[in-house]
Amino acid sequence: MSNATLERPRPRGRSAPGSAEAAPRRRRSGWWLLLAPILAFDVVLFLTPLGKLVGASFADNAYQRVLEDPLVVRALVNTLTISLASTIVTVVLGYIIAMVLWRAGTVTRVILFAVVLLPFWTGILVKNFAWAVLLQDNGIVNAFLQGIGLTGAPIPLLHNRFAVIVGMVHCLLPYAVFPIFSSLTSIDDRLGLAARSLGAREGSVFRRITLPLSMPGISAAGLLVFIISTGFFITPVVMGGPGDMMIANQIDYYARQLTDFSGAAALAVILTVMVSILVAVYQRVLKAGGQHEDN
Amino acid sequence: MKTTNPQQRLLALISIPAFLFLVIPTAIVVPVALNDSRYITFPPEGISFAAVAGFFADRAWTSALTASLQSAAIAVVIGVLLGATAAIGLHGRKFPGQPAVVGLILAPMIVPTVVLALAFYQFFISIGMVGSIVPIGLAHAVIATPYVYLTTRASLAGLNPALVRSAQSLGAGPLAVLRHVYLPIILPGLISGALFAFSVSIDETVMSLFMQSPGATTLPVKMFTDIQFNLTPKIAVSSALLVSVATIGLLLQVMFVLKRRSSTRMLPLAVSAQT
Repeated sequence: MSNATLERPRPRGRSAPGSAEAAPRRRRSGWWLLLAPILAFDVVLFLTPLGKLVGASFADNAYQRVLEDPLVVRALVNTLTISLASTIVTVVLGYIIAMVLWRAGTVTRVILFAVVLLPFWTGILVKNFAWAVLLQDNGIVNAFLQGIGLTGAPIPLLHNRFAVIVGMVHCLLPYAVFPIFSSLTSIDDRLGLAARSLGAREGSVFRRITLPLSMPGISAAGLLVFIISTGFFITPVVMGGPGDMMIANQIDYYARQLTDFSGAAALAVILTVMVSILVAVYQRVLKAGGQHEDN
Repeated sequence: MKTTNPQQRLLALISIPAFLFLVIPTAIVVPVALNDSRYITFPPEGISFAAVAGFFADRAWTSALTASLQSAAIAVVIGVLLGATAAIGLHGRKFPGQPAVVGLILAPMIVPTVVLALAFYQFFISIGMVGSIVPIGLAHAVIATPYVYLTTRASLAGLNPALVRSAQSLGAGPLAVLRHVYLPIILPGLISGALFAFSVSIDETVMSLFMQSPGATTLPVKMFTDIQFNLTPKIAVSSALLVSVATIGLLLQVMFVLKRRSSTRMLPLAVSAQT
């Protein structure tokens, strides 16, 4: 939120030249003792379990075994298609919401921000439960569709891929709104004013100024949303049907139904590698976007 | 920006469905829980607290609530201690390997929860630590700590390192510096981080599901298990409880957003979504 009116003026430690960089080297200070707890904690409870997981994945020819499983192949295809569909819908809706936030006055903006943050703070099961209530056969959405005469009998809106995507988009929207909003606020307002004063219509101001200059935000949002999408586990179970299981569900199936740890571990490593590559790309996009703003 | 040209109105118009899409699911949760019906319906047929009473009379649900609060307490305490010490320890310092240390601290946000769930499941079985809420709380602490680190780091951005040196030159020991220089400055960040940690733990489902045992079934796990069979009024009450907690968290967070700009900055960083 780079809105100047919301920022409380305060001294910035970094602004004093030299002083911030000169501070680090102090002699008899055991400041590294402050890092010891978190390092010990993460080594024992984060790196060790993950290391064991990677180790387990190399047993019993696990990679070849899981990749030859037609259920796994199907789950991988489902993960890619569902994530892609959710990402596209999320970015489009997120762009609309970000535009409104960008154009809103300060008070409206804060209220709308709270609205966007609400799903962010609500647990996934609560959100999925609410959607299940809305989309069930005797739910309000079906009642509405019958009321306006679109359909005579309830249409199945739950336990299918449509429901999975609805549930996922609802969870993902905040993650799209923030990167797009921040790229919109970095656009120089004078560009739009200049274009309008030269006779440009609103449509061409959007098409030729706003949209191109917010592309870094769109790509960052798209990548972030896609990254998060690939790990969904609860929503396919609660909202989807048997044919909508994603890779995370397959990991659970291998671990808890088949009790095939090495197979589950191999799938988990495959998912982590996929996500890590995307995160690396995401960080490059963020950096490129940052440089773009400075130019 | 108070222009009301047709394009602005068009934007407002097409944004209404998007905002309704965001708000409606959360808005119906409390009315559904207070519905005077044995079935789950919206809009409600009348107001009744029968389902709420039923929830609190059911041992399975109250012990799930207790388990959730216990795991959240573990996650908040560990998260605040580790996240805050890490942020202070790294403040204004550069040393070889520092990017790796920061990377390790933030890494739990990037690994998909299902992968961590599997890793913890295997790990805690292998060391024989199963059947209690402690491993679940520890697992939640692992993913909650980066949030506290980030919010604390953000509040430290306004601290001039010269203050620390002045305090030291005036004879303040390390504990006095922590108490009188760092603590007042990081307090808002700590509170914000503690809220995040609480919220991460109370909503976390996948890791809790993998590590559940009869004595350690959290609220979301109980909901997840029941929801696959039927939509029941007790799930609705549980959802309403969690929404109330989330609303309080959100209101507190908005207060911080109004005061500080740094806390919104970190939100898009929060990759570790509870999926």
